[in-house]
Amino acid sequence: MPILTYNGQQYPLHTEKTLLENLESQAVSVEFHCREGHCGACRSKLISGKVTYSQFPMAYLRGDEVLLCCSKSEENITIDAP
Amino acid sequence: MAYTTFSTLSNDALKEPMFFGNPVNVARYDQQKFEVFEKLIEKQLSFFWRPEEIDVSRDRIDFLNLPDHEQHIFISNLKYQTLLDSIQGRSPNVALLPIVSLPELETWIETWAFSETIHSRSYTHILRNLFTDPNEVFEDIVNNNEIQKRAIDISYYYDELIHAVQFMQLHGLEQTKVEYINLQGKAEKITLRDIKKKLYLCICSTNALEAIRFYVSFACSFAFAERDLLEGNAKIIKLIARDEALHLNSTQQILNLWADGKDDPEMAEIALECFAEGREIFLKAAQQEKEWAQYLFKDGSMIGLNEQILCQYVEYISNQRMQAIGYEAPFEVKNNPIPWINHWLVSDNVQVAPQEAEISSYLVGQINSSVDSEDLSTFEL
Repeated sequence: MPILTYNGQQYPLHTEKTLLENLESQAVSVEFHCREGHCGACRSKLISGKVTYSQFPMAYLRGDEVLLCCSKSEENITIDAP
Repeated sequence: MAYTTFSTLSNDALKEPMFFGNPVNVARYDQQKFEVFEKLIEKQLSFFWRPEEIDVSRDRIDFLNLPDHEQHIFISNLKYQTLLDSIQGRSPNVALLPIVSLPELETWIETWAFSETIHSRSYTHILRNLFTDPNEVFEDIVNNNEIQKRAIDISYYYDELIHAVQFMQLHGLEQTKVEYINLQGKAEKITLRDIKKKLYLCICSTNALEAIRFYVSFACSFAFAERDLLEGNAKIIKLIARDEALHLNSTQQILNLWADGKDDPEMAEIALECFAEGREIFLKAAQQEKEWAQYLFKDGSMIGLNEQILCQYVEYISNQRMQAIGYEAPFEVKNNPIPWINHWLVSDNVQVAPQEAEISSYLVGQINSSVDSEDLSTFEL
């Protein structure tokens, strides 16, 4: 199973769930509001890895930023809180 | 550079900047320079709601049972929200439509301002229910010093921009025959770059309004509903908050697109040049919100919210919003001091099915099922 590293802590990554759902299932508290990619509350820093978006990410993203609520990953991924 | 409602000049909107390019002529959305505005329009339309859909009749009882200082908090907060949406319901249209150059952005601005007018109508819906005559409340919005202090600050940047744009569109920018008299009544030499600066600051101020000021007022509305009080009001505010999340996103988009040089290169320079001034706008908004918190809680606090907690929230939300547009977080606070607000801000649990939400018009329209034998008296076999 791929690994999701968040703030240096490793968690198993369920590829069918969004990154936010993954963290929630591990009882990691992450900021979120809309859960559909427009409010930007869950904006985080992507350190390594790749994400695919299940919905158009409407919040503005710079090169190294991801929205946790509407993104999934197939492989190991490292993310830091903003 | 007079405004024209339909420029016959054939232009490619994909090559236009967001503002101050050629005016939009054909409202076409098959091609877009910034797709996000089209997505925002779609989302905003899917959020459509009417204030009459929410039953606020129980709120009156709750309101009358509140102690005086809590009534003061509730009503002052509502007055402030009314002011903010009065401004937002018209200003984006008046200020931005005459200078916009992209069809998708033009339509977004109209959609955005329209949804603000729904918010304005919903405050009347709430107030009509709370008071037999809400006149006094509305009149106080223009007379209340505390509200006025901030109203001046919010409308200032819009008015500056509108005034300069009107001059430019009427007289051009040569200023050889007619000189520009600014809002302070002084003659001033202005260039297009100066007007662009006014636009930049205006968008900063609008973002501060929607991303900070509104959220402080939401916190107060939701604090009552956390105690199962004034829930109809909270349902409306929840719908408003869902819309505002989109609106603030659009102004963040505009500011970020400028700063990252993805739009007008001159706006990228201005974003750098006005970096400090933009920051000041946010810090001043935060400061004013703290002063407002002091006014709200002047006669006492309420369960779950007091001046100190609200001020911490102002700092927390300011940090978040300023970081979203490339500023450093100016305040120490790291965690949300009122985590329960997220429950109200999560938009995927906004209930919209008429039979599940308390939609008054849905009940009004149902069939009267009581039948009297009188009703059948004209029937013959």
